[in-house]
Amino acid sequence: MIPPIDHPVWVQFITGEKTITSSKATINLLVQNNKMGYERDTSPANIKELISRAHKFFTQFESVFPNEIAQITG
Amino acid sequence: MSVIVQAELTTIPEVQASIAAGETLFLAGSREALSQLPRGNWVGGTISYFMTEEGCLQAEDRIFVTKVPEFALEVNAVDYGPENLAQLHRDAPVNGFTFVVLPAASEVLNTFAEQAANFDGFLLHPIVGWVSGVRVDRIGIDKPAVFNGKSGAVMEDRCVALHVTLPTGRMADLEIVNIFESGGGDLIRFEKPGFHVSQCLINGKPANLAEYITSKGIPTEFPLVGDYNGSSINVSFLAVDAAKGTVELYAPVFAGVDYHFAKPVADYSGAFARAVTGEDPEPAFACNCILNYLYGKLEGKKAGTLTGPITFGEIAHQLLNQTVVRLQILDLG
Repeated sequence: MIPPIDHPVWVQFITGEKTITSSKATINLLVQNNKMGYERDTSPANIKELISRAHKFFTQFESVFPNEIAQITG
Repeated sequence: MSVIVQAELTTIPEVQASIAAGETLFLAGSREALSQLPRGNWVGGTISYFMTEEGCLQAEDRIFVTKVPEFALEVNAVDYGPENLAQLHRDAPVNGFTFVVLPAASEVLNTFAEQAANFDGFLLHPIVGWVSGVRVDRIGIDKPAVFNGKSGAVMEDRCVALHVTLPTGRMADLEIVNIFESGGGDLIRFEKPGFHVSQCLINGKPANLAEYITSKGIPTEFPLVGDYNGSSINVSFLAVDAAKGTVELYAPVFAGVDYHFAKPVADYSGAFARAVTGEDPEPAFACNCILNYLYGKLEGKKAGTLTGPITFGEIAHQLLNQTVVRLQILDLG
């Protein structure tokens, strides 16, 4: 189950407070790009944009990355 | 379970027959070979180096053919320049994948390399492909090109994409196979992105990368390895000019990524054999890097069980160097 987009775990995910590990390069590209995007601009507007992208990604691939989603929600 | 897709090095008449039969093809071959093909459902790019089941080789008169599976619902060949490249992901199917070929040393490649991660839809659609090139003894003389077989266009300044829509129950999956890993040692970071670098931070202290490489005698046949949350992403060296204090790269470095020099690899063929075994699901498509072919002296040797073009850059969502990219089409049952 994907947490709603306004759930606090997404801010934690984007700011790096909540980390996940994965053997999947696509996930790791997502995490790294979030990290770089957040380091470039820590404004609430940018965090919102990064959350939107991450939420869209995990919603689309919910069935593909259950272990990674469990790490975010756990 | 992965779906087997026919992919092999083929003669020009055989490719002509496949095109005449209406098959949809993703092609890699010399400009001379691709120029002999009729219009049809195909896209491709110039390259003369290939991985085959017999070993790696150079061929001017054969074409590596990847056939798009018949169960694909829709295929759409589109070319893009720097001005509309951001449209690439928007045009990609919701379920499927996009084959793309970009010409080496082109503005459109530079735009893709530096901007892909910022495009709307990045990572939401599997974008897989490679960078077209020329014979290594013709670098700087001949120009890499891409072909849109549908329109008949041959382009040196645009890329070509084949958007492939898959039916429900099938899914495309990209995999990166990297024989290089971080060698540890000094941490290198960059404050701004780019293909051309001079200044960097080494263990947090400002330094000139060219001077550092030269003074340490670091071999530049091995890449810089970027740590992307545990996945290793390579950036390869094109040239180091200690006098000018500049380093040119085959892909851009990015601010915010931790880089280390790669642990040296002595036996490339053996490394690929260990990384890619017959037990792995057979990919629908794979490509490998020309630098691995050259530095690893792979001519006549196998690269594990891989077959496919040997290219001037690899694409799996973003530009990669000295890397194998594999596309698998999964049958979700």
